[in-house]
Amino acid sequence: MTSRGVMKFFFGIYAVMFFGYLFGPLIIMSISAFNSSSYPRVTPWECLTGEWFVKLANDARLVEGLQNSFLIGICVVLVAVPLGLAGAIMLTQIGNRVRSFYYTVVICPILVPGVVLGISTLIFWRRLGNMVGAEDGSLLFNDIFLTVLGQATFISAYCMLVFIARLQRFDPVQEEAALDLGATNVQAFTKVLLPFLKPAMGSAAVLAFLASFENYNTTVFTSQATSTLTMVLASKVRYGIDPSISALAVIIIGLTLAGAIIYEVLRRREARIAAQRLADGLPGGKPAPKPGFGALPQMAGIMILLVVVAGVATTVVASGYNAEACKAEIMQEKLRIQEKFAEEQRKLREERMKQQQNEAPAAPAQPKAASPFGNVFDPNNLGSQSGTAKPEPEAPAKPASPFGNVFDPNNLKQQSGEQ
Amino acid sequence: MSADVKLDDVWVSFGDFVAVREASLTIQGGEFFSFLGPSGCGKTTLLRTISGFQDPTRGRVSIEGHDMAGIGPNKRPTALIFQNLALFPLMTVAENIAFSLEVRGVGKAERRKRADELLELIALSGQGDKKISELSGGQKQRVAIARALAVEPKVLLLDEPLSALDLKLRQHMRSELRAIQQRVGITFIYITHDQGEALTMSDRVAVMSDGVIQQIGDSKDIYDHPETAFVASFVGENNALPGKVTEVADGYARIETGLGTFRGRTSGNAALSPGEKAFIFIRPEAMQLGGGDNRFRATVLTEEFEGNMRHIMFRTVTDKPLRMSLINDGRSATEISGIEEEVGFDANLAVVLPHGPLAAE
Amino acid sequence: MLLVNYFRWFFTKNGLVLGSILMGAVAFWCIVMIILPQMFMLDYSFRLNLAPHEYGTAKDVLTLENYEYLLYGSSANTDSFNFQDLGVFWRTIVAALFVTAFDLAICYPIAFYMAKVAQGGLSRLLVLSLIVPYWVNEILRAFAFRIIFGASGIINETGMDLGLWDQPIDFIRADVALYAGLSYAYILLMIFPIYNAIESLDTNQLEAARDLGSPWWRIHWRVIIPYAKPGITSGCTMVFMLTAGALAAPQILGGPSSLWFTQRVYELFNKAIHWPRGSAYAFVLLVACIVIVLLLMRLFKVRLGEIAR
Repeated sequence: MTSRGVMKFFFGIYAVMFFGYLFGPLIIMSISAFNSSSYPRVTPWECLTGEWFVKLANDARLVEGLQNSFLIGICVVLVAVPLGLAGAIMLTQIGNRVRSFYYTVVICPILVPGVVLGISTLIFWRRLGNMVGAEDGSLLFNDIFLTVLGQATFISAYCMLVFIARLQRFDPVQEEAALDLGATNVQAFTKVLLPFLKPAMGSAAVLAFLASFENYNTTVFTSQATSTLTMVLASKVRYGIDPSISALAVIIIGLTLAGAIIYEVLRRREARIAAQRLADGLPGGKPAPKPGFGALPQMAGIMILLVVVAGVATTVVASGYNAEACKAEIMQEKLRIQEKFAEEQRKLREERMKQQQNEAPAAPAQPKAASPFGNVFDPNNLGSQSGTAKPEPEAPAKPASPFGNVFDPNNLKQQSGEQ
Repeated sequence: MSADVKLDDVWVSFGDFVAVREASLTIQGGEFFSFLGPSGCGKTTLLRTISGFQDPTRGRVSIEGHDMAGIGPNKRPTALIFQNLALFPLMTVAENIAFSLEVRGVGKAERRKRADELLELIALSGQGDKKISELSGGQKQRVAIARALAVEPKVLLLDEPLSALDLKLRQHMRSELRAIQQRVGITFIYITHDQGEALTMSDRVAVMSDGVIQQIGDSKDIYDHPETAFVASFVGENNALPGKVTEVADGYARIETGLGTFRGRTSGNAALSPGEKAFIFIRPEAMQLGGGDNRFRATVLTEEFEGNMRHIMFRTVTDKPLRMSLINDGRSATEISGIEEEVGFDANLAVVLPHGPLAAE
Repeated sequence: MLLVNYFRWFFTKNGLVLGSILMGAVAFWCIVMIILPQMFMLDYSFRLNLAPHEYGTAKDVLTLENYEYLLYGSSANTDSFNFQDLGVFWRTIVAALFVTAFDLAICYPIAFYMAKVAQGGLSRLLVLSLIVPYWVNEILRAFAFRIIFGASGIINETGMDLGLWDQPIDFIRADVALYAGLSYAYILLMIFPIYNAIESLDTNQLEAARDLGSPWWRIHWRVIIPYAKPGITSGCTMVFMLTAGALAAPQILGGPSSLWFTQRVYELFNKAIHWPRGSAYAFVLLVACIVIVLLLMRLFKVRLGEIAR
């Protein structure tokens, strides 16, 4: 039994690490959205603020990207769900000999890298457009049209898998029964098969929308000029890192959690009602199982939601009167440190000047890399400040690591990226 | 009102496999007609051919004298009750029953009225708003029948509809089905592998094996006067002794078996000639201890005691023991295995039939 | 003849209207959306980089130039091979395999736990808690790792506060952030196939094995893993394909000196504007992925039909 205990112990450690890995990044990112530091981080904690949410809401590019993403997402749902449905029904009706070939063809888009799908869609429609002599503004060159088709190529396959799973539980004899009772083929389809597939259609639509909404690899090729939310995000993250992105993450995580909880609650209620009805209908049936075992996820979900809501609420309230004071304080602190450094620097420079004057008239000092002022040239700082336009330039020296940003690989990456 | 169904040299094959061969028969209007046979004998295929889900490869199906070729299942005057019932799980009981009216564009109030009438017929009044999943097995059964009857079919086809029910319910539903059939007065064509069902409910039974209709007759005919070795061995219990015919005369034949030479009836429809290989079939209840026209000595193997009946097994030349069933009158002694007894049977209770495949156990 | 029979059967079964819609939709998807674009891309990869008005002129010839470029580089290249691009390609494949192996190692125990140890409510909670991170945008997940592994990110801050190291470690240049982010991105796609496979295993088999005195590792090795093989292969295939084809995470988390192969393709499309060469590179990536997946399937003796479920 001791080996059992040891195993349990190690599994416990592993599980903690695993879920730490799973949630840690999201939690840290979420917390950083409420920190007033212009670099998204948790430590050192500066001030609780909601300003990043405000900045997010005022970001015109993001809002535009969001609109495009919505439009594309809805179009993808309209294309992918019917295609997936047709694909799944076809699979049940195709001869054995062709079935595996057909299945390979339609499942392929899931396995093919997204960039390849994007590229092939782009090239196909461009070439087709050139062949038929389409004008520049025509549908064949339209970003949204291409993106919808490119994404739907593989999202239809996702939808198909959802429908296949549901169809496996469909008794095809029901369709025969409908025909036997005088229904036409279309009636058997719309009155028997479609109602059965309705829940799957819901899941497929949600899946398609979310998959479209977060797609990057395909969209980045098919949409040459129009930016979706994901593309705006990607360019933001690549060229400057900013807590307003964390703020967006908080919103998305909150929505996802809420969605998951609502789904779970609805599922449970449905199961309970079904069990209840069954118990009512059959005198000999077992009473409905009490939902005792299942309060855990609901509680956990509600707790998380409460924490998020409380966090946002506190922030909003706090930012009203408290944040500004806190920020001013931090600013003072930074200024003090800055002045101290400037003072030292001045002394240093004066000494050096004296030395240089003694030696020879040399080139003026270029303290870029070593200087605490180096951060003024940091594109990250520029990027984050350009939005808010603060009265005073932010202190270059951050309290915990005054020289930190010089070593910040982001800077290097930034510079190399912009070459 | 009721219609006759006529099959004319119907063949159905799937690729190289012939599921039904040379089926020709006429089912009278208003008749309760059963197809009886082991699974895989082609009876379901035949039913699907009548209902229109399967086109015959050859031959003709006609209902009320109309050729049904090219007429789809939704246009035929037939309704089918599926083996698993195939009720629509997402519809209520009433919606299920009125489905055929819905697809014909009948108004809602009219549909509801008709559904209520049919619910009354199957003794489920007031349960129209229930979900299918809330019904018991027997109730589902009756809803399936009501749904099929709502089409007002001329012929109702039933594909082993009782097979999913437990034994007691199955026996109850037998009489119920028969009662419904007599009430509505339409032709029922019933498919089953259960001979009890076929023999108790049907006006006539067709026994099928390997795609071939072996014999058609009423229940008593099928049981008492089998015409092929298959029917004799499939319907009821029968001892089959293989042998060679030595003499045929006056509706009787003499057959030489490993246990001796016996005399038995012949079947009018199955010609026998001396020298041919054949079987003699003796029902266990026709066997007696120390009596009968045909007598021989045999060794007791075991005895099974079943309360009202005693079954005694005798060793034979084949590996299948000979079975004798006796009514337990409480006076006779238990047979001891290993002892030799004189057993026998009357010639008019045994039948000699040409050699042919027997039913699998 | 067989085809004619099939079509006749199909249209009798579905009726003309429904049958045409079904056929049309599936044909559009398969031919116009899947097969033709791939064909066009393949064709385009054998073309020169021409302006649209030059298509179909004498200059528009088929060439192997784009593939030669991947192998040997430009004519100015003094090396015998295009070590830069080939290196990127090689690194991408190896790193994707590494990420796949890492994900398999960390996901198998959780999948097993969820499938066979956790009970009702807890199991649902675990499933939900795995799904939630997956629905957070890919970019945001990568962003989170940039926050964590940045020079003033939480790991560097904590490490320095604890005195473990005194200078910020450049996790991004060392590609630690990239590998952590890539492994993170597709965890769910590794867990779920394995979870589904193990869940369908009859628990009695495990009890029987335990009853026969088999130690736990042998039960896994001899009973569970062979049974879950299609699920494991499915998870590995998905993770490998998605990792090798990932673009966002390498763009955000990749070190300045190391590229991912998809980034090269992206550059060829958006910076160098050399689409035919980009197509050739994309096609090479596609073929490499397919070959590796087929090898994996051969190795584990699993068929495609068992995988994509």
